[in-house]
Parts: sequence; C-alpha cells; structure tokens
Amino acid sequence: MAVPAASRVTPTAAVPAAPGYPSQSARAASAAESRFRITVPIAPARNARVVALDPAAAAVARSVAGRPWAHARFYTCGPVPPGVPEGLALTELQGSGAPVPLPELLEGTDVVMVLATEDSGREQAAAIGGACWARAVTTAGVVLGDGFEADEAVAALRPYARVLLLSADEGDVVDLLTALRV
Amino acid sequence: MLRRDINELLTQTGPGTPMGELFRQYWIPALLAEELPENDAPPVRVKLLSERLLAFRDSDGRYGLVDEFCAHRGASLWFGRNEGSGLRCPYHGWKYDVTGQCIEVPSEADNSSFCQNVQLTSYPLVKIGDVLWTYMGDAAHQPPLPEFEFVHVPAEQTYTSKRWQQCNWLQAFEGGIDSSHVTFLHSGGLKTDPLFKGAKGNEYNMKDTKPFFEVADSEGGLFVGARRNAEPGTYYWRITPWVMPSFTMVPPRGDHPVHGHFWVPIDDENCWTYSFDYHPVRALTDAERQAMIDGHGVHSKNIPGTYRPEANMDNDYLIDREAQKRGDTYSGVAGIAMQDASLQESMGPIVDRTKERLVPADSGIIKARQKLRKAAIALRDEGVRPPGVDPAHHRVRSAAVVLPQAESFLDSCRDAVTATPGVAQSSV
Repeated sequence: MAVPAASRVTPTAAVPAAPGYPSQSARAASAAESRFRITVPIAPARNARVVALDPAAAAVARSVAGRPWAHARFYTCGPVPPGVPEGLALTELQGSGAPVPLPELLEGTDVVMVLATEDSGREQAAAIGGACWARAVTTAGVVLGDGFEADEAVAALRPYARVLLLSADEGDVVDLLTALRV
Repeated sequence: MLRRDINELLTQTGPGTPMGELFRQYWIPALLAEELPENDAPPVRVKLLSERLLAFRDSDGRYGLVDEFCAHRGASLWFGRNEGSGLRCPYHGWKYDVTGQCIEVPSEADNSSFCQNVQLTSYPLVKIGDVLWTYMGDAAHQPPLPEFEFVHVPAEQTYTSKRWQQCNWLQAFEGGIDSSHVTFLHSGGLKTDPLFKGAKGNEYNMKDTKPFFEVADSEGGLFVGARRNAEPGTYYWRITPWVMPSFTMVPPRGDHPVHGHFWVPIDDENCWTYSFDYHPVRALTDAERQAMIDGHGVHSKNIPGTYRPEANMDNDYLIDREAQKRGDTYSGVAGIAMQDASLQESMGPIVDRTKERLVPADSGIIKARQKLRKAAIALRDEGVRPPGVDPAHHRVRSAAVVLPQAESFLDSCRDAVTATPGVAQSSV
C-alpha cells in the first residue's frame, strides 16, 4: 500500500533498496504469503500438571479438568510431612484417588501450574516449587483473588515460579493452559 | 495460541467489529500536532480504524477530523482549499466547517437551506501535549479527555514521534508488554544507545538473562513485572504498565527520560506507533532531544517529510551482518524501534496465532489478549464500559526498582507506578 498520508509529505530521501530478489526480502511477508506458513500440524508438546493448593483452588481445578486436554492432569495435595518436602503426596482429580508422591508426579513433566486462593497451601507451594526447581521443571503460579489472602503462598512460590499470574479471573487458568497447548 | 475466531476478533478494528467498537470507546492519538502547524495549514489525510478521514485546522485555530470525501460526488477533500474558517472542495466549491457541517453550496440559491442538511461524519479533535486526540465513538458517551502524563508535563519535558508500522496493531502492541525479548533483541542498545546506556539497571539486565515474571491486574489493564537477580537478597524489578487498549510504558533506566508507546490501528494491516519520552521533573536536555530526533531510544529515524522509517521492509531494514557479528546489535538492525518493528512486520500483516507455541513467560501477552477479548464481548453484548476509559486509569508510570526478595512488587511500588506531578520516576 502507499505510505499513509502525513502532511507535507514528499518522500525525498533515497533509501537503499534491498539486494537480491523480492522473494528473499522482508517484503515477502505479505498477507498472501503468510497464509501458507508452517503447514505441519502442531502437536501438543507439554506434559502439564496442575496442582491446587487449597479447597477453593481445587474447585477451580475440578471445573477446568472437565475440559478436553491433551496431556494436562489435575491434582490436589495433602500436608507436607515435617522436614520432608518431597514426601508431599498428591491426588489426581480424575484418577483412582490413590496418592501420588511428588517425585513420581514430576517424572516426565515439563510444566507445573500451581493454583492458590489463600495461604493455607504455602508449605505445599514451597515444596512443589523446590522440587520443580531441582528437576528443571518450569513452574507457573496462578493466584486467584485479590492477592492479599494468598500473599504467603505467593512469597513461597516466588523464588521458583517462572511466572506468577495474580488475577481475579478464573478464566486465566483455562486461557493459560490453552495457550500453552497442553 | 489463539483460536482463529478470537484472533480475528482481536485484530479487526473496522466499523462494526467488536474490537473496532472497543477502540471507539477511547480517546486515541489521531496525528501529531506538528502535522497541522498553523491555522489554514494544508489538510492531512488520516486513516484510523479503517475509516478514511481528513484532519484540518481552520482559520480560527479550531481542529476538525471529518470524512475525507465530499458529500457531493465523493472527491477527496485533501485537495481542498483551507480558508475562511472552512475547507472547500475544489471540484464544485462545497465548503465544510470543522464539525463536518456543510456551510456553503455555491450552486444553490443564496438563501437556500440545502446545505444545512449536509453533514459529513466528523469526530472531535483536541490538542493535548504534542498529540491531536480523537474520540470516534458515540458522542453521547464521550469520556473525559486523556490524562496520560506524557502529554501533561510542560512542553520542554516531553517529546513524541510516530512511525508507520506495516502490520496489525496487536502484534506491534504485544511487543510492548513482552519484557523477555529485551535481553536478546535490544542487548546492544543497553550498552550504546544514548537514551539507555550507563544505568545501573542495565548491568542487572545483562547479568541475568532469564527473568521471572509476575502479571497483575490493574484497574485500567495490567502491570507486568520482570524480575532479575540484583545484589544478594534483592531482586531488580522492571514494571511495565498497560492501559487498555494500547498504551504501554517501558521501565526507565537511571535518570534517562521515561518512555512508552501508544499503538493505533490505521487499518487491519497497518498501524501507527506513537513513541514518547518525557521526564517528570526536568526539561529534556538538548542532547536528549536531539537523540530522539535522530531516532535513538524508542524513536525511529524517518524518511524526511514522512513518518515512514528509513529502515523499512523495502530495504530489509538496512540490516548490517557485520554489526551483528561484532555484537554491536543482536539482530543486525540498528535502533530499538526498528529492531522491534522488523521482527513484528516479518510475522506478516496479521500473524496467524493458531500456529504459535507460547511458553509461560508469555503470560502477560496471554492475559492481555484475554482482557481485550472479554472487554470487547462485554461491550458488544452488555454495553459494559471497558477498563482504561476512565482518565484515572491513565495516571500510571513504569518503574525500575531493587527490592528485598521477600517483597511483592505490587505492594512495594504502589507509589512508584502512580503518575504524581512533580515527583521523579522510580528508576535504577
């Protein structure tokens, strides 16, 4: 298209043209061309685990878990055994109900999303964050509510979570998981 | 990734589209005040939100933004004569005032009331700071004027430029809340750009290339905090505010002026990038202003007489592979603005977001898309006024601070991210 109008516009500068052929220049980024990029279907690539730290977060996780996901699994967690953070056991929301040890849950996992609405899960947050960090598993935290009720959980997650989303919107969990193709 | 229908919803801003109606709730930059430098200056074609309009400043200094085309036979009024408190079509002499009201039809009888019934579409055009702002929505719901700090500080403290960007507004805007690219794409500029270099914060930027992010709702949009390690026990935070629909600020560096952007759709495949620098408490120095004019910092060096950057897609952005090899620039493209624009334009006019592979570090972008989508749908379905319309939402600033590791950036920086006249920016 032509240069959008500006007042007193009389292009005068002789700007060097790109060398080579049009198809090799940045001008190839046209609307027609861009429709034909990357034709290979994109497979879901992430094994995601979503862990709810408190009862209200579990309700959100339960709701989200009902949607179709490729590799995402949803869990609640029990108490952290004193002095043994990796002794934390988790329960899959749609599974048998049998507890899964934290180290087992992280096998083959490449992203863990932690959900919190208040501070009761701060010890679990620290345990999960630390275990993920030790295994190079990316950690993301979604803190629902105004943030004040969960400030200790946030502080426990902060050293480990690559991203913390402080939000009043439960839809963030769905949007984040959808965008990550889990 | 986004579903195709949501991508279309967010990227289409013409009349009658949900996102177009959302943009029409706000005062948005229409052009720079310098484009209409005097009374009866030549009119300027302005395409906004896919509407072809014409801006002019009449003999009495009043600004108008009207339909570009004469109501008579559709000729462009850009060829018109701006004189005698109105714009006259040179074809048959029909004349319009700044409200678009036809005030003279020479072929009609002298006392004819015909022209009273001829009215071009028009929008208010108001000068605030260096920018002429317009509101293209329902006149009955016109909000108060914008209160962004960069247009309210004294003239000697602020500078605004603009450039044509050849892509959809959304992919340009998303660069403004994507803090993770700075460490790579702009790493050269941290060392050499006269408007960036020398700040202590730059050292933290360059030492810690894997920032952590916190994204938090604000009344007008979002705050995106990027966190890097600083001295033991502390974090260096860079806080980027976004005010809906498309205003962002870049966290400051040292005592350099604070800068930011406002992205405005021209149509669905082009947008204007307005770039500003201001200092809240002092005049810009001559050297700073000259650096901005020369295209440093967030500004671009444009082809004289136009707002098209000299480095553009027709010349592969003047890429310099030797400079890239030496490490002077990371991508080989010079200048922060064109480093961003070259990559954003390379995605194509409207990037196909169904093919993305996002990562958790993209959460700010994911959240912003969600807020835009929800606001557009709430407006369409329920008439809900979107965030960012209230001028109180405009009084934000970016900030760069060092905090103890246990502190939340939001709790500790309430004052720092609030624009307070006469108070300096929080910067490292």
